[in-house]
Amino acid sequence: MSSDVLSPGRLAIFAAVLLLVAAVPWWLPALVEDYWVDIAAEILIWSLFAASVNLLYGYAGLLSFGQALYFGVGAYGVAFGLQHFGLGFWGSMGLGVTAATAMAAVAGIFAVRLTWHYFSIITIVFGLILYLLTVGAKDLTGGDDGLSLSLPPFFSLGGVELDLFDQATQYLFVLFFVGLCYGAMWVVLRSPFGYGLKAVRENAPRAGLIGLDAFWLRYAAFVMAGFLAGMGGALFALFSRYASAQYMYWTVSGEGVIWTIVGGAGTLFGPLIGTAALIVLREEISSIWEHYLMVLGVIVILMVTFAPRGFAGLIEDAVRRLKPTPSAPPRSE
Amino acid sequence: MYDLIGVLLLNGLAWGLIIALIALGLSIIFGLLDFINIAHGDLFMIGAVLAWTTVDVTGNFWIAFVLVPLIGFAAGCLIERGVMRPVENSPALSIVASFGLSLILQEGVRATFGTTPKRLMDPLGVTVELFGFQYEAYRLLAALIAALAIAGFFLFLRRTKLGTWMRAVRQDREMAIAMGVPADRIFMFTFGIGAAMAMLGGVVAAPITSVEFRLGLDVLPLCFIAVIIGGLGNLPGTAAAAVLLAVMEGLVSAFAEPTTARIVSLVVMSVVLLVRPNGLFAPARR
Repeated sequence: MSSDVLSPGRLAIFAAVLLLVAAVPWWLPALVEDYWVDIAAEILIWSLFAASVNLLYGYAGLLSFGQALYFGVGAYGVAFGLQHFGLGFWGSMGLGVTAATAMAAVAGIFAVRLTWHYFSIITIVFGLILYLLTVGAKDLTGGDDGLSLSLPPFFSLGGVELDLFDQATQYLFVLFFVGLCYGAMWVVLRSPFGYGLKAVRENAPRAGLIGLDAFWLRYAAFVMAGFLAGMGGALFALFSRYASAQYMYWTVSGEGVIWTIVGGAGTLFGPLIGTAALIVLREEISSIWEHYLMVLGVIVILMVTFAPRGFAGLIEDAVRRLKPTPSAPPRSE
Repeated sequence: MYDLIGVLLLNGLAWGLIIALIALGLSIIFGLLDFINIAHGDLFMIGAVLAWTTVDVTGNFWIAFVLVPLIGFAAGCLIERGVMRPVENSPALSIVASFGLSLILQEGVRATFGTTPKRLMDPLGVTVELFGFQYEAYRLLAALIAALAIAGFFLFLRRTKLGTWMRAVRQDREMAIAMGVPADRIFMFTFGIGAAMAMLGGVVAAPITSVEFRLGLDVLPLCFIAVIIGGLGNLPGTAAAAVLLAVMEGLVSAFAEPTTARIVSLVVMSVVLLVRPNGLFAPARR
């Protein structure tokens, strides 16, 4: 697998998909209403949030119900930068991402000492503490009502100004940063670090015996996950011109877990598929029936029961059935 | 001031016993099936909603004390068979399945019961004089009912064959099966009991809280805290922790915002998780 990843055929398919994704603002409005371009941008943003859950659960085996905390810090970093500190566009975005990463660096010291259920619970607890603090500091944060932001242009040179009020520009802006994050994940997960992480996930004591430090691997994954969620939150604040404590509640983290598991944990693009499928479903169903969440609940239960490896698993099985490769390693189960 | 503290202490005690009842249900499900039931708070909420519905339909609150736990038991058995059984071997998948269940329950109640919080009339309508204050007699009764239910639960675990089986399966599943304990049915039964306890908690709490579809969201973290501070699998510890926490939150909220009180419990819980992961009452191991 690792040797033919960069084969010409695969590269060609990848380039074609990338081109298709980058051209969304031009071909999508020809098929459906214009606002679907914004939904596509929203999917990209939330997929980073799901990717942060996936990095922890899919690769490090740590199920976090607290990633909304870093998403929220990322969003509020941008909001504070713009509204309270006057940092401008890039300064605010940098503040959001840095604050979320720093927060993860502090929380991670404690959280990754625990594994298993204990980890899940402490991530919920940290999330709740910060949520309650944010709601409590209503003067500063706007609480559940949130803060509305006014965005300056992000590029201005010689009379040329670019801002996020143009739909296509905004989409490409989001795609650029989301794409960078996916690229970074691709590199990191194929590095010795990525393999070390998987070794720790499979069997921590044995990984320890071959000289891997489980604590540091998990800690690094936790901080990276904080960065991804923070980037998602910062982009979301810029995209929606809004930051609110409601995005920090643990049920939001739960949705990230759902997107990841439905899409396929432990695969790079599984969470993106899951996020896309469920957000499109939300848009479609909530226009005809307001109780979309009930449908989501049923889908989640059906998926974990009948397709525990998610959409990515289903696709993988289908591909395997289409072209049986005798050299493929036996399924580990 | 001191009489106010007395009232807050009593309020905390009543809430603590109700939380203890719910948390014990969460804890036995965790102990046996080894997964965190995120929908547990929503089962409590359903109990409160059913209590409200019982009063609405029959005009009698007390029927709910018999009816709702029975419904809870049946629902719990069905959930274990229908939803949890296929994912039982993967803790992560079962947490996610229970999250899905939680969404269905909450949204189901929102669709049928509505979004506006509803209040139940004080079923006793009597107050007693305590510390020079007029105190709702129902709150005392609620504490008593919850305490009796908890005592009954412990007696059931200790003194009946089923209870012994439950403890046996929990201690060593393989060995219990080898001794002829029907572990399969014990799983279903345990989930049923856990759900019945959560729903009974909902009935007891219905008159002293406002009934709405988000009720469980607030209670679930509190139950987690009690289970962790008491020690996962340490049932008496869980009950004690629930009461301590609720009383502490009641006291802190006399001087500060209720939110601050909750933050204090969450911080206490984090410290316990990190320093004494077996719970506050466990003997230090190793």
